Amino acid sequence: MGQVNRKAPMRTPVRWLVTLAAMFALLAIPLLRLRGDSSAQQPSEEPPVRIPSNVAWTRETLALVSSGDPFRGLLLARRCNHCHGEEGFSAVPVFPNLAGADRLSFWKQMEDFRSGKRISPVMQVQAAGLSTRDSADLAAYYSMLPTARDPQDSRSFPQTMQDPSLATIAIRLILFGDGQRGIPPCQSCHGPVSYVNGAPLLAIQNESYLQDQLEHFANGYRSNDINVRMRSIARQLTAQEKTAVSEYYGAGLGPGVYSR
Amino acid sequence: MKKKIGFATVMLLVALSILSTRFYEVSLPVWHLLGGGNGPDPATLHLRGEFVESNLGAAQDREGFLTVRMIAQQYVFVPQCIIVPAGVPIRFRITSADAVHMLSFLGTDYGLKAVPGTVTEARFTFSKTGEFKIPCHEFCGAGHYAMRGQLDVVPQDQFSSLRPGERRTCGPG
Repeated sequence: MGQVNRKAPMRTPVRWLVTLAAMFALLAIPLLRLRGDSSAQQPSEEPPVRIPSNVAWTRETLALVSSGDPFRGLLLARRCNHCHGEEGFSAVPVFPNLAGADRLSFWKQMEDFRSGKRISPVMQVQAAGLSTRDSADLAAYYSMLPTARDPQDSRSFPQTMQDPSLATIAIRLILFGDGQRGIPPCQSCHGPVSYVNGAPLLAIQNESYLQDQLEHFANGYRSNDINVRMRSIARQLTAQEKTAVSEYYGAGLGPGVYSR
Repeated sequence: MKKKIGFATVMLLVALSILSTRFYEVSLPVWHLLGGGNGPDPATLHLRGEFVESNLGAAQDREGFLTVRMIAQQYVFVPQCIIVPAGVPIRFRITSADAVHMLSFLGTDYGLKAVPGTVTEARFTFSKTGEFKIPCHEFCGAGHYAMRGQLDVVPQDQFSSLRPGERRTCGPG
């Protein structure tokens, strides 16, 4: 009884359903072909692969870097104090300041020094004596150092701007970038507006160090940025713009966590 | 019963036709479906696969197509400037390293979505020569409005053929 009652009204919808299914199947054919195409075609000959950095921001790497032990980092940091200062601020402006450093950025640079992806005669030797774990501990320690001014400290930061008239150019690039040339604002990756993985903190960085790095990115001497990000930007900057941005950040005027 | 089914079919067709005009708003799940999780991992694009930095730009592939490979990332396109000949079908293969981006070739009818974990492929033929800006057309973060690439379309005779293994971009490096 029940079976008969159920069957009778089902017949017509079943036919419609089959028709609809057939229609969708027809629609799906070009999609499947598209998929087959893309996987089948390979470039005829590939140039030698260049890998900028062995670091990739996978889940495991992020977990490793963020689990650094700052107390162990404090002990390890004794060998960094000579150049980078006991409070993470160096006495000579060509050496970078490390206080308040971004953990991911710090760790990535140490890895790149060790693997030779970033060239520095001094730092490559230093990094060779540290393990992946040590770098994570150091990163944790330096990221926790305060950046506020200390009258007892012999730091060179902040430097004074050589040419204060460059401030307008610097502010424009840091806050707004240059859309016509495809230069994004510095603060959209280096903070404080938003951050991307591996972008260092610029607000407490020395002028000469920043200027050197921008030059090196532009001429390809430094090429350990993932997916050619900083190289694309630095190449487009004029000499005046590089000086302006470095001097502005070096004078402690840039937006960020630095407090005077 | 027949009336009801007829009505339902008509409504379905109307809905589909409306959806088809809003394709770009519903295409994202489609791209994810097509990618099927087999696309390149956005975190390791620079380590392996076709999107390593030495393989980006215009390349000649075995089928005779000119293929342009690009990465869209916060907040630059890499390579930032690409050069292609006019009047020839060009294959674009594009992926994203972080958020969803969209390339819109200003001055032409073309646009392309870059989705992390998925390779977007399309064939375009540019009839006009000139320089076209490629702004990012999908909000991707704080620097979105300054994210811009450039496409140079040159006459075919000015675009010397690529040697195997050669990758061409305009601009330095």
